[in-house]
Amino acid sequence: MKKHAITLTVNGEERDLIVPSNRTLLDALRDDLGYTDTKYGCGTGECGACTVLVDGKTSINGCLTLAATMDGKSITTAAGLARDGNLHPVQQAFIDNDAIQCGFCTPGMVLKAVSILDENPNPTEEEIRHGLEGSICRCTGYTKIVDAVQDASNRLSGVGE
Amino acid sequence: MGELKVVGKKVERVDVRSKVTGGALYAADVQLAGMLYGKIVRCYDHAHARVTSLDLSEAVKCKGVIKVLGPKDVTQKEYNASVLDMMVSADMRGVLGDIDDQSIFTDHVKHYGDAIAAVIATSEEAAERAAEKIKATYEELPVYLTADDAKQPDALQFRPEKPGNLAFQLPEMAFPNNAYAWGEVDDSFAEADIIVEDSFYVSKQKQCQMEPGSYIALYDDQKRLNCWTSTQMPKLVQKKLANLYELPMTRVKIHTTVIGGGFGARLGMVLEPETCALAMAVPGRPVKLLSPREEDWLTSPSRHPGKYWMKMGFKKDGTPVACDAKFENYKGAYYVDASGTAFTTGAWLGGMYKFDSLRYRGESYYTNQSICGAFRGYGNPQTNFVMEQMVDRGCAQLGADPIEWRKKWHKTIGDDGWCIGVPYNSCALDECLDRAAEAISWTEKRVKYKNQTGVKRRGIGVAVMNHTSGAMPMLLEHTVCDVLLHQDATATINLACSDMGQGSHTTLRQVAAETLDFPYDDIHIATGDTDAAGFDIGAHASRTLYVGGGAVKQACEDVRRQLFDRAALELEEDASNLYMEDKIIHVKGASNKSISVQTIADQGVNNFMNPETGELIGQPGQIQGYASFFPPHNAPPFGATIAEVEVDTETGEVKVIELVNAHDVGRAIHPGVVEGQLDGGAQQGLGMALTEETYFDEKGICLNNSFTDYKMFGPSDMPKMTNILVENPDPTGPFGAKGVGEAGIVPPVGATANAIFNAIGVQILEAPITPEKILKALEEKNNA
Amino acid sequence: MTSRVMRDFDLLLPESVAQAITLLATHKDKAAVLAGGTDLLVALKFDYDIDNVVSLALVPGLDVLEFDSERGLAIGAKVTIADLLKSSDVKEYYPALWQSAKVFATPQLRNTATVIGNILRASPAGDCSLAIYALGGILTLENATGRREVDLDDFWISYGVTARKDDELTISLQVPAPATGQKSAFRRMTRVTEDLSKLNAAVCLQMDGDECTGARVAMGCVGPTLIRLPKVENMLAGSVVTPELLQEISDTVASEINPIDDIRSSAEYRLKVAGVLVKRVIKLALNEGNDQ
Repeated sequence: MKKHAITLTVNGEERDLIVPSNRTLLDALRDDLGYTDTKYGCGTGECGACTVLVDGKTSINGCLTLAATMDGKSITTAAGLARDGNLHPVQQAFIDNDAIQCGFCTPGMVLKAVSILDENPNPTEEEIRHGLEGSICRCTGYTKIVDAVQDASNRLSGVGE
Repeated sequence: MGELKVVGKKVERVDVRSKVTGGALYAADVQLAGMLYGKIVRCYDHAHARVTSLDLSEAVKCKGVIKVLGPKDVTQKEYNASVLDMMVSADMRGVLGDIDDQSIFTDHVKHYGDAIAAVIATSEEAAERAAEKIKATYEELPVYLTADDAKQPDALQFRPEKPGNLAFQLPEMAFPNNAYAWGEVDDSFAEADIIVEDSFYVSKQKQCQMEPGSYIALYDDQKRLNCWTSTQMPKLVQKKLANLYELPMTRVKIHTTVIGGGFGARLGMVLEPETCALAMAVPGRPVKLLSPREEDWLTSPSRHPGKYWMKMGFKKDGTPVACDAKFENYKGAYYVDASGTAFTTGAWLGGMYKFDSLRYRGESYYTNQSICGAFRGYGNPQTNFVMEQMVDRGCAQLGADPIEWRKKWHKTIGDDGWCIGVPYNSCALDECLDRAAEAISWTEKRVKYKNQTGVKRRGIGVAVMNHTSGAMPMLLEHTVCDVLLHQDATATINLACSDMGQGSHTTLRQVAAETLDFPYDDIHIATGDTDAAGFDIGAHASRTLYVGGGAVKQACEDVRRQLFDRAALELEEDASNLYMEDKIIHVKGASNKSISVQTIADQGVNNFMNPETGELIGQPGQIQGYASFFPPHNAPPFGATIAEVEVDTETGEVKVIELVNAHDVGRAIHPGVVEGQLDGGAQQGLGMALTEETYFDEKGICLNNSFTDYKMFGPSDMPKMTNILVENPDPTGPFGAKGVGEAGIVPPVGATANAIFNAIGVQILEAPITPEKILKALEEKNNA
Repeated sequence: MTSRVMRDFDLLLPESVAQAITLLATHKDKAAVLAGGTDLLVALKFDYDIDNVVSLALVPGLDVLEFDSERGLAIGAKVTIADLLKSSDVKEYYPALWQSAKVFATPQLRNTATVIGNILRASPAGDCSLAIYALGGILTLENATGRREVDLDDFWISYGVTARKDDELTISLQVPAPATGQKSAFRRMTRVTEDLSKLNAAVCLQMDGDECTGARVAMGCVGPTLIRLPKVENMLAGSVVTPELLQEISDTVASEINPIDDIRSSAEYRLKVAGVLVKRVIKLALNEGNDQ
């Protein structure tokens, strides 16, 4: 099997690695680079636990992306959202709204929320729910996650400050 | 009880920072030096077959393969993955009828995905490639998917000890006539003016916890068997593994990792026996076993599906005179929890209404489906689907309002709870019903939705439930807790209770802080290490806060008592004349006489001495609190859900508009945690009612063991949610708390079914209530 | 049964269309083309086995999404479903396509999955494919000997099988420009919001005032491929769409479809409800509503 030398910028840090053709971005992040915050939940692009952001905004499933096709790309995982020791407003909103239970979906879910708000800083509840499709949570019934995204939207746009 | 400082507050949960940044380590995230990877080879050709040949030779030759294991290469002991037998008295073990009928690898495949061999290799990929080279041939056997199939006289017997493939029925020795019963049911029906009766099907719902099964095992240099697992019950799994591998408990250690959801799927053992078998084959090397989602689906237990018949009789004035019921569940390939659910399904039925007489029979039949076990509610969602539809049918015939009828006839304080002879000691169900009804404008909507004729029709329905906090007296409830007071006057609470995401480590820390009267930040909950933690029966049966919290409270009271005793000596006062404020112990009425907790703790640890006199300063000895806690009761949670739905009569599609969940929670130690349990429970309850079922073809091949094919309610499907927390402190719960881990899933099941009944005037007897079934029922109604 | 690890293959990363075509000419049926990969990579975790995967990741010029009032909409091989949703032209001129894109799979998959990939998958349940089928489309395929065009009407042969030859690269899709009075809509039924369709329908109606002068009506999940409903199309053509006509259409649909039982629904249900869905999608098109 062919191997490919690639460079990924993960959470702002440039990483060189050699991956076989069939290595998914998910496995490269987890097993080759140690970003275990990106989770395997189903391997078939249904659950969104492996969600990462490309160029800081576009959400994709790491389990359905070949690492070797991502050469030169910039990837953000949940571990890369905090700045200078401060949580990203979306992360803080997840904590403040009790939107986290078992936490297995949480890294993918917060990244998803970041991408939703990047595309639409002031989404309606319906738009938030539509945007959260593809990220399965079995603990919260989504109620508090939706609240958290709404709250994060307000924080990011300065409402209520 | 004075004003509460920590209990009742939405403090920051202990685990959320690590979870939101991705730092939390789940079992799959743990990496050990020299890790090997296991792959279990499973039979995906048949659901019932004998292995006639197994050729491992090609696999052995594959690159990276360390070892290939067939059935004879691992322990020959049979086991039962369930731990029920470890939670009951010796007498009760006979009642359970548990048998050891599972083996690590089998030559008699009993369900799609049964394990036949395994590979250990240097990488996951090498293990996968080698596993593909293992060739098995099979002799096909007849497939039994339902109780009726398995009962046939000529059916192949799964186990000689269980004739007729009847794995379990309520045994005569504890349940005369094999029934959980009171009164004379047959006589009572003679008094009934209205009798309703029907046969239902309840579905094989799957927990779908987000973390698929992930394990590491290592048989280490000290000949200790280590297992990293996201188990809900570390201490019982430790003992089970010790039994299976014939090791003393000192040589088995469970490292509980962060748990990515449980809901029952991590109750007892799951793939711990297999992972340990691999590790025992390569001493000194850790072996990691990661299930693909599809494998996790088939190897962890599901809810018990089955046929559920029920008959109810009422007098004209509404008096419920008799209830007769029988649940025949499709147990699956192995015994596991065959006894538990078969009993509790009836217990929840018995605990709900004041029938003059009641009879429930529960039977578990072996089938060639994947195994069933614990799933949030443990029989209660099944009963809710059936019982609550039957009650509403009765109410319709009686002309009674379903809420008024329930308020009049539900069991309450003083009535027998789910266990006959153990009366309820608290109940706020009336308040739940009243507040829910008001929140959703029940009365107005029941009138408004009568006689609709449009394509889309609204309906509103109610359901109630009783549950339990821990399972006293069926289970021997017990949790041990140690509290270590550090010299800086902070405290570490050591116990085995797992937090599977429900927030129990947060609420236990709140209980500790409140009891010690320490700030929340001065407490740490230490768990996850079976070497360190005392006994506990695990996170299940809505018990962690009630029993674990009781243990924490008692152990912290022990610390507080020791602190006050020492302060009394130092201050030369009677302990009863002291009080604590901001971690300083004062003498009542003498503000200048005080000593800080920090001073006491520090003196206890450091054993200071006056160098001139040689006298000790303070009382020596580090303070530790201890509790071996047996709860006095089971603090019953009650709850009501009202659901509003809209049914499209042309397509049968159901849109859930709103759910109001009103629950008697005793006390909400952390309101956000409680709401989260109700929200998440509702998502699963709606799924049970409307979409979730595991399908098999006629050969027993599972058709939807994946998120692609098995559908749960997603963010856009969830309705408007209103949670009402009714706080009516239970006399036995820590700060009055009841367990709410399971309550949330239960009444949305019946309420949704009843809302559909209200909208279209027909009841759907098979869960899940799909558009296909609704349309068919509507056609039959129109043709009738 | 699935594996956590994909099967072995060589990933080939051509840097031009010409290079890609040369690779396909070399490997023929031993190569699969990877654009978005949301179907291919799942298949590679199950039983699908292929020696070579030719990725279009580095191939320039395939991400064109261009609307022209004469020629219509050009969609390159790498255009994703999410790209469609960002296009105001798609929303304005091709409501059926926009509506199908909006509900297509999940945000992550929409960001990756390509429109042409959905067509090449030849699934009888494809949502975007169905909308395009109703709107009409011409595919451009290229191999070492040159380019050819294939009408979508002739493209799907059976379940998972298309008219594309192993050595051909699908370059682009052209959807005709809408004439004045063209109205279209897409609607689907699923078990929960995020799911593969259990029944889907799309229509493209040419309206002249109240009269429908021509119609393309397509359905999915009712046969081995997406299908058109010629009887329904004939009933619409030259008619004023009245409630009575809609009811007649609704009653006719069942005679044009051949659904099966599967995990998502039953043949019986599909036969009963398909007519309702077609009726509703026609109404949606005429109301020019975007709501689902």
